[in-house]
Amino acid sequence: MSVLVATVLAGIGTYFLRGIFILTLADRQFSPLVLRTLGYVSPAVMGALIVSMLTTSEGTVTLGAAELGGLATAALVAARTRNHIYALLSAMSVYWLLGALVQ
Amino acid sequence: MSLFSPHVRQGALTALPLVIPAIPFALVFGIVVESSGIAAWVGWSSSPIIFGGAAQITLITLLGEGASIAAAVTAALIVGARHLLYSVTMAPHFKDQPLWFRWLGPYVLIDQVFALMSLEHHDDPDVFRQRFLAIGFTFWAFWVVATAIGIVIGPLVPGNWNIAFAAPVLFMGLLATGANDWRKVLVAIVAGVMTALLADMPNKGGLLVGALVGIALGAAMERLQR
Repeated sequence: MSVLVATVLAGIGTYFLRGIFILTLADRQFSPLVLRTLGYVSPAVMGALIVSMLTTSEGTVTLGAAELGGLATAALVAARTRNHIYALLSAMSVYWLLGALVQ
Repeated sequence: MSLFSPHVRQGALTALPLVIPAIPFALVFGIVVESSGIAAWVGWSSSPIIFGGAAQITLITLLGEGASIAAAVTAALIVGARHLLYSVTMAPHFKDQPLWFRWLGPYVLIDQVFALMSLEHHDDPDVFRQRFLAIGFTFWAFWVVATAIGIVIGPLVPGNWNIAFAAPVLFMGLLATGANDWRKVLVAIVAGVMTALLADMPNKGGLLVGALVGIALGAAMERLQR
């Protein structure tokens, strides 16, 4: 029961993290400077998110040759082809290959 | 809005390939629920109720370890705090939208939906709304089903496949297609390095601080340029 209560509370909280500014600021007029600054939110969060996903629960960042090779491949293939399936397949192949070689 | 509108269909097709990297995440979630000792259906209910993998995993892990409701919910919300940034960034796009969409849209504003919608520019609010909902609810349907399957088969997958690496790979791909000038690349690198330096902050707090430092750098560059 207490788990369900916690889940509902976290659900309501998560909803408002996503909705609060949409619900309160959607009718506001944003200045061009603010709008251009908001253009940096996506690259900043994605950069932070990638590193965060490579961080173990003990707080160590796992970033060896295999991870670097995989991430670089993903960036290059995605930028060239704009196809996320190609990027995923090639990056995972490089990652597994380098992982096997380094071991 | 018709389910057969071309924008709805194309939106769903845009989202489909991106669900693949979320499959390992659903399996990891299944393992977390299994090892927490929490009833499977209660653990799974967090998928439709919270709809956010990282927050769900944090919540279930902490509750399984015996943390209080307040502590577990707070940690889950800190992990999800980046959604505040998505909310403010998406707000201008909701200007000419009906009230029901302003209330419904945030429910599916997950990382992938934000990343995909940031790559698109729609002058027509109807097109924006149809794409947003089609992409969002394609992910939603996938996640609700995949986490149910994950709870059943997650504990059976061998750990040495390292399939969880598909998640950072996906976001690197989204970053590379969206970062269309050197300033955005610099901002992403600085945010990533800051997050790495703060890796031992509790509840992955370094993610939020790193992202904020990156955005502040972007804002400073915009100001200096004028």
